[in-house]
Amino acid sequence: MTRLAPVLVLVLALAACDPGTGVQPAAAAPIACATGSIQAQGSSAQTNAVNLWIRNYQVSCPGATVAYASVGSGAGVRDFIDGTGDFAGSDSALAPADRRAADARCRSGPVVHLPMVVGPIALAYNVAGVGDLRLRPATIAKIFAGTATAWNDPAIVADNPGVVLPSTQITPVHRKDGSGTTDNFTRFLASAGEWAYGNGSTWPAPGDRAEQGSDGVSAAVAETNGAIGYVEWSYAQFHDLDTARVANGAGEFVALTAEAAGRTVAGAKLTGTGNDLTLTIDYRTAVPGAYPIVLVTYEVVCGRGAPGLVRSFLAYAASGPGQAAAMRQGYAPLPGALRERVAAAVAALR
Amino acid sequence: MLSVVVLAVALLAATSLLMARMQGQVRIIGAEAAPQASTAADLYFALSDLDAQVARLVLIGRTPALAGSRIDALGTYQQRSRQIDADLQRALTTGTTTADRATVLALMNQLAVYRQWTWQAMAVESQAPPQPPGTLPPAALGYYTQATNVMHLDLLPAAQRLRDSGQDRVDRAYTAERVTETLGIVLAVLLGGALVALLVGLQMWLARRFRRMVNPALVLATLITLGLVVAAGVVFAVDGSRLRAARADSLSPYLALSRSQAIAYDAAADTSRYLISGNLAYYREDFARKSDQVVVDPGMLDRWRAYQRDHERIVALADAGQVAAAVDSLTGIRRGDAAFDFSYFDAAVSTRTAAHRQAFDVSLRDAEGRLTGWTVFPIAAMGLVILLVFVGVRARLREYR
Repeated sequence: MTRLAPVLVLVLALAACDPGTGVQPAAAAPIACATGSIQAQGSSAQTNAVNLWIRNYQVSCPGATVAYASVGSGAGVRDFIDGTGDFAGSDSALAPADRRAADARCRSGPVVHLPMVVGPIALAYNVAGVGDLRLRPATIAKIFAGTATAWNDPAIVADNPGVVLPSTQITPVHRKDGSGTTDNFTRFLASAGEWAYGNGSTWPAPGDRAEQGSDGVSAAVAETNGAIGYVEWSYAQFHDLDTARVANGAGEFVALTAEAAGRTVAGAKLTGTGNDLTLTIDYRTAVPGAYPIVLVTYEVVCGRGAPGLVRSFLAYAASGPGQAAAMRQGYAPLPGALRERVAAAVAALR
Repeated sequence: MLSVVVLAVALLAATSLLMARMQGQVRIIGAEAAPQASTAADLYFALSDLDAQVARLVLIGRTPALAGSRIDALGTYQQRSRQIDADLQRALTTGTTTADRATVLALMNQLAVYRQWTWQAMAVESQAPPQPPGTLPPAALGYYTQATNVMHLDLLPAAQRLRDSGQDRVDRAYTAERVTETLGIVLAVLLGGALVALLVGLQMWLARRFRRMVNPALVLATLITLGLVVAAGVVFAVDGSRLRAARADSLSPYLALSRSQAIAYDAAADTSRYLISGNLAYYREDFARKSDQVVVDPGMLDRWRAYQRDHERIVALADAGQVAAAVDSLTGIRRGDAAFDFSYFDAAVSTRTAAHRQAFDVSLRDAEGRLTGWTVFPIAAMGLVILLVFVGVRARLREYR
C-alpha cells in the first residue's frame, strides 16, 4: 500500500509558510504514503493540528486526499457510526452506547481510541500590574463561580504572596458555544472540590461574559482589564496573553509549557485495553512539574478494516515529525512513551 | 647558495601570504558576503509574507468559522516579525557601508509605521459589528491600504536595495578571490620554477665539480620544492574553481529562487487583497505582473500555474458577488483550494532553496578545509629545502677542503 514519498528537507532559515494556511512547510521526514481518498469528521479542538497534518501529508503524497470536517465530537462520532466517516476526532472516549454502535459499524474488529492531540488549556488574564499570576484550583473555581469578585480577593492574595494585587473587578470569560475545552476545564474545576456546578461541554455555571470560541474569549480577555478566561493554549500564545501558573496536586505552581502539559498526560491512567488507548486524566496530578489542565483528543477508528490511507495518515500524525508539526500550532506533543504506544497501535491496525 | 635561500624564502612568503589571503577571502565569502546577501533575501521574503498574513487576517476578520485560519495567520505573523527583527539585526552587523546601515535604520522606522497601520486596521475591524469574511469596515480598508503601501513603496524597495548591495558584495568578494588565485598560481610557478632550476643547476655544478652524479639532499630539496609548487597550484586552482562552481550551482540559484519565492508570496497575497479591496482591478493586474516574475523549474511552474488557476477562479467568484465561496476557496486546504495549491508549490520551492543553501555551505566548508594548514606548509617545506641545500653543499665543500 505504501511507497516512500520524496524526502522533503526541513527548511530552516527560510522556513516558509504559505499565505493561505500560514503554516510551516511540510514535514521533514519521509512519509510512508498511501493513495486514495478518506473523510473524517469531529472535534474542533484538534482541527488546527489535523488540518496541518492533512496539508503536510497531501503535499508529500500526491495520490492521497484527506478531508476533515470540524463539526464537533458528537457529530463526528455519529458520522463515523453511520459509516460516512473513516475515522472520527473526539474530545472524549465514546459513551458505552456509542461504543457498542461503533463496534457494530466496525464489524471485524472493535473500535479503538488513539490519543493523538494534546491541547493544553491556558488561563489567560489581563490584570494591570500583574505579570506572574499563581492560582490554586480552588481559587480558580471561586473566580469562575463568581464568588471571588476582585483581584485582591484574599484567596488570590494567598496564592500570590508578595504581589500587590489591584482591587480591579474580575471579569471571568467563558465559552458561549459548547466545546471539549469547556468540558475539560469544568472537569478540572470539579476535581478542585469547591465547584458546585459539575462539568459539561456547555458552560454549567453562572457568568456574565460569554464569547464564541477560544478566539472570542481571547479577544475579550485582551480588551478587558481584569478579565480571565480559559482558552486553548495556541490562542493565548498567538494573542500574546499572559497565562497563570496553576497549582498541581503537589501544590506546585506550574507555568504552562509543552513539557509541563506532557507530564500530566504521561501520568494519565490508561483505561483501555490492547490497542484501545483510552486515558483518564488526573487533574490533581502530583507529578513534579506537571501542568494539570490538559485536553487529550482521540482519533476513533476501526481496529480492523481501516483503509490503508487512514493507517498511513494516522501513522504520520503519531510520528515525531507529525507531533512536532502540531506543536508549532500551539499543541503539546504526545509524551515519548505514549507516542510510541500510539504509533504501535496505529501499526497494528489492519 | 644565497640565491637558493632567497628564492626559497620568496616562494614560502608568497605562498603563505597568498594562501592566508585566500583563506581570508573564503571566510569573507562564507561568513560575510554570502550571509549578507542571504539575510537580505530572507528579509525581503519575510516582509512579503508579513503583509500576506496581514491581508489574510484582515480578510478573515473575526469570523468564528475561520478562527483556525486566523490563529495560523497570527502565529505566522509573529514568526515573520521575529524573523524580520533578526534579519535587520544581522543586516546591521553584516552591512559594511554607511548606506547599508542607513537603509537598515530606515527599514526599522518604516516597519514601526507599518505595524501601526496594520493594528489600526485590525482594531477597527474587531470593534465593528460582525461581518462576513471579505467585507470590512471602510476605515479598516483605509488603514490596511496605508499599511500595504508602506510595505510596497518603502519597505520592500529598501529590502531590495539591501539585497542588491549584498549581491554586489558577493561579486566583489569573488573578484578579489579570483585575483588572489591567479596571483598565487603565477607566483608559485615562477618562483617555484626558478628555485627548481637553481637547485638543478646547483646539482649539475656539484656533479661536475665533485664528480658525484647524485646529491641526495639536493634531489630531495628539488622534489619538495616541486611538490610544494604543484600542491599550492592545485589548491589555488581547485579552491577557486570549486568556489565559482558553488556560486554558479548553489548560491546564485538559491538567491534567484528565494527572490521568486518572495514574489510568489506577494502575488498570492494579491488574491486576498483583491477580495479585501472590493475587487480592485489593480490587485488583479499586480498579480499578473508578479506572476510573470516567478521564475522556477518546470515542475514548480506547474504547481504555480495551479495556484494561478485558483486565483482566477477566486477572482471570478468575487466578481460574481460570491465572496463567501471565494474566501472558502482561498482558505481551504482541499486539493484545488488556493491555500493547498500554494503550499504544494511552496514545498517544492522551499525544498530546493534549502538544498541549494546546504550545498553552498558544504562547498564553503570544503574550501576552508582545503586551505587549512597552508599558511604553515610552505614555511615547513622551504625550511626543509634550505636545510637540505645546506647539508648537501656543506658535505661537498668539506670534501673540497
